[in-house]
Amino acid sequence: MITIKHEGCILCVGCSAVCPVNAIELKGTRMEHYAEKCIDCALCVKACPANVIKMVKKDGV
Amino acid sequence: MECDVVVIGCGPAGSSFARIAAQQGLEVVVVDKRKEIGVPVRCGEALGVSEPAKEGLSIPKYAISLEVEGAKLISPSGHAVYWKGEETRGYVLERKFFDKWLGELAAQKGAKIMAYTHAVDIIKEGGKVVGVKASHGGREPFEIRAKVIVSAEGMEALIARKMGFKSYHPLHEVDTCYEYEMAPYEHENVIELYFGNKIAPRGYVWIFPKANKKANVGIGIGGNVINAKKWGGTEGADPKKLLDEFIEKNEQLREASTFLDFGGVISVGEPLKELVRDNCMVIGTAAKQVDPIHGGGIALAMEAGVMAANYAEEAVKKGPSALKKYEKEWWERKGQQLKRRHLLRKVMERLGDDDLDYIFQQLNHEALLNIMNNNFAPVAMKVIAGRPSLLKVLGALMG
Repeated sequence: MITIKHEGCILCVGCSAVCPVNAIELKGTRMEHYAEKCIDCALCVKACPANVIKMVKKDGV
Repeated sequence: MECDVVVIGCGPAGSSFARIAAQQGLEVVVVDKRKEIGVPVRCGEALGVSEPAKEGLSIPKYAISLEVEGAKLISPSGHAVYWKGEETRGYVLERKFFDKWLGELAAQKGAKIMAYTHAVDIIKEGGKVVGVKASHGGREPFEIRAKVIVSAEGMEALIARKMGFKSYHPLHEVDTCYEYEMAPYEHENVIELYFGNKIAPRGYVWIFPKANKKANVGIGIGGNVINAKKWGGTEGADPKKLLDEFIEKNEQLREASTFLDFGGVISVGEPLKELVRDNCMVIGTAAKQVDPIHGGGIALAMEAGVMAANYAEEAVKKGPSALKKYEKEWWERKGQQLKRRHLLRKVMERLGDDDLDYIFQQLNHEALLNIMNNNFAPVAMKVIAGRPSLLKVLGALMG
């Protein structure tokens, strides 16, 4: 799954533009990630110009 | 809240649409998620001098940072081609003032613009979209009901997607960008574009001079071609890192201060075929109406906004079928041209630095003008004559 480091996020919404399943949306002043919709494709990780989205293993496994 | 037309997004597309629609006497509401219209700035801010006149507009001085004579294109090995002429004059805008000014024009015609109001969902009744739900600053959403719904949302295109448009951007159809506003920078009164697979893979670095020795310095790189791990970076494409490397090598910029630090993604994919679905429309970057060569979309957005708005009154009074005329007109007037630009982009993506260098050496004013006018064959022929190995790649441009 992915994690977003919100402190470095510039709210450009590039991640939601490339997300094929609408699993990241701007909510107020923060990008919200809906893990239940996420398909772990990592496109947002690649697109993020601020480099604040990372893939992490589920439950540290 | 009820109105004739609700527009999502108050960038150049949305406000141009709103201005013309309101002028026809329609009740128009424009919502924009940003706290301040035009902020943050999302691009290189360049616009051809002749563009605003097409819409009968004259940009106020305070929205223009600098008028430039043309462009300087720099090849991977550093060979510079200057391109100056009547056709290449352009403005480097102050986008935050420009966008706001366009919005003000719409408001003067009677459109109601609401900043910090984020359209979060569509309202659907009996299979038909009858409006949107919008939240003011994250508060409980309220309803805006309208006969016509227009997405001018730019890259995010959340509502456009919910309305069923194919506004999703696959990674190979986006460039990921980063930009700084920097000063001081002594410029040559031209925009500077640096090409090369090491400098900016599948894209370019730009330096757009602005007033008072400022410059908008940015980079756009292909979203899918890079794995930054190769150069010890992290897993993302990391345009910021590449831009920092470029700046470090530039004697002037290395010493300069930064006044703005921002990034984003821009579509370089083909425009949407379907621009209208029943009473819903999509205009501007949300419809991928962006030039895939330089990533510019301001003029295209304004033009699409005006074009679409010309059919709004008929649609509100007689039914949404009138809107389809916008789709037809746009594809006839602009779509086919953009398709040619896509062909050029696909070819350019296959060129290595050595070939790029060779091609840059063949470029002159006439050749660049031809390229701008989508007449690729003369340049392609000249290049192939000198370097036959490029026939395979450039052959596609001969038709």
